[in-house]
Amino acid sequence: MTRKTRRLWLVIACVACLGTAAALVLRAFSSDIVFFVTPSQVASSPPPKDRTVKLGGMVVAGSVHRERRGETPVATFDVTDGQAAVSVHYEGILPDLFREGQSVVAIGTANSAHDFTASEVLAKHDETYMPKEVAEALKKSGKWDPRFGPPPSAASWNSMTVQDARKDLAAPAQPQSQPASPAPTGSAP
Amino acid sequence: MSASPTLVARTGSFFHRYANPGRFLKLGARLQPWLTWPAIVLTLLGLGWGLFFSPADWQQGDSVRIMYVHVPAAMLASAGYAALAVCAVLSLVWRHPLADLAAVEIGPVGACITALCLATGSLWGKPMWGTWWVWDARLTSVLVLFFLYLGHITLIRAFDDPQRGYRAAAILALAGAVDLPIIKFSVQWWNTLHQPDSITLTGAPTMSSSMLWPLGLSTLGISLGFAALVLARTRAAVMESRIQALLSSPRRNQGNAA
Amino acid sequence: MTHLPYIAASYGLALVLSLTLALNAAWRLKTARARLAMLERGNLRPVQPAPRPEAAPSSTDTQTP
Repeated sequence: MTRKTRRLWLVIACVACLGTAAALVLRAFSSDIVFFVTPSQVASSPPPKDRTVKLGGMVVAGSVHRERRGETPVATFDVTDGQAAVSVHYEGILPDLFREGQSVVAIGTANSAHDFTASEVLAKHDETYMPKEVAEALKKSGKWDPRFGPPPSAASWNSMTVQDARKDLAAPAQPQSQPASPAPTGSAP
Repeated sequence: MSASPTLVARTGSFFHRYANPGRFLKLGARLQPWLTWPAIVLTLLGLGWGLFFSPADWQQGDSVRIMYVHVPAAMLASAGYAALAVCAVLSLVWRHPLADLAAVEIGPVGACITALCLATGSLWGKPMWGTWWVWDARLTSVLVLFFLYLGHITLIRAFDDPQRGYRAAAILALAGAVDLPIIKFSVQWWNTLHQPDSITLTGAPTMSSSMLWPLGLSTLGISLGFAALVLARTRAAVMESRIQALLSSPRRNQGNAA
Repeated sequence: MTHLPYIAASYGLALVLSLTLALNAAWRLKTARARLAMLERGNLRPVQPAPRPEAAPSSTDTQTP
């Protein structure tokens, strides 16, 4: 019996040591593990011009300019993390999910602290999943504008059904001032 | 086995009650249909609901339906490896013979489901993110998990003496378990392209209930399916080892007699 | 904005993988059971005594409620 107990403690000790070692290694390399840098990091210490960096942040509402240069579409937009903004130039087709207020990761080089040329743009969607009708109802009720950030707390909408949302969308004619619209069901369970 | 009432001893005797292959086979045969049929029904129900009746996402459109395969696969990839680690403890501490056989059988099933998770993730990432693969913390740690499974599968079969293989593979399984919390928390500790978890223990799920239901059903169904597969394979393995024993003993007798 | 090929590929992959695993497991169980029954009947005992009750189940693994 004692041999088994001793083996158990040995196993526990080994796993604990290994876990600690792994945690320390991950801590030490934490800055290399991050997938992208934020605009404020780029602004405070611009990376060397020849280094490829991944810049992540939210597309600023109203900052997107698309044009065509010959065959290739060219886009310019600002990416922000709330503290600093970097202007990104990109030649190529943007991903389907690209929109104002969407998180994106732009891969390219920084020309200066506020100027970035991307060779690739990835869309980074968030962890909220909702039917189109619910999103429309939230937008219409004035609770959420996707161009300016994440949706309201999940408990206020995750039990709303498509039928509820359709009713909300159909009922009031044009309530741009928000109090007229009926509050979505299940706002406080 | 003495009846000293320490926890270690009691845990050992609890598990050794099912170490008897005959008893395990009888119990397994009785349990099998209760795993297999609910697994098939729930999986078909969950995936059918997710594929045809659940709403499309407001920004991802129909691509969100890949979630009903991808998320259960991801959960089971981790859960399967956790099961390997439990088998490793049972094997290293209590020398439980069934834990070794189960570890042999969990490995390939877990590797398959991890591969499914990676493949569906890729198929989801291409239309949504715009890339098949990135080296962010979540994706990389799951790829590491896949290689851990492959390592376990080869290691446990690598030795002529199966006991040595069991021992080495158990150590690998325990060491690799360090990857599980890394996978789980990678999306919180570091910024990643992969989004954070929608379903957490602490907060309301950031997912419409019309998508949460089919996801729950398919997760339950695929989990039961995983258990059913592992049970069936372990039963087969127990029988195969018995066949080996039967085949080798009479032949030895004949050899002695001749 | 449907991405049907990606969705179909994901579900197809899941189907193929689960079918492969399930058929493989069922086949292993079936052959193992058959061989075990044969060995226990033929080799161990002299042919006469009736086989043990557990050695004669039906061919599918899921019929023991």
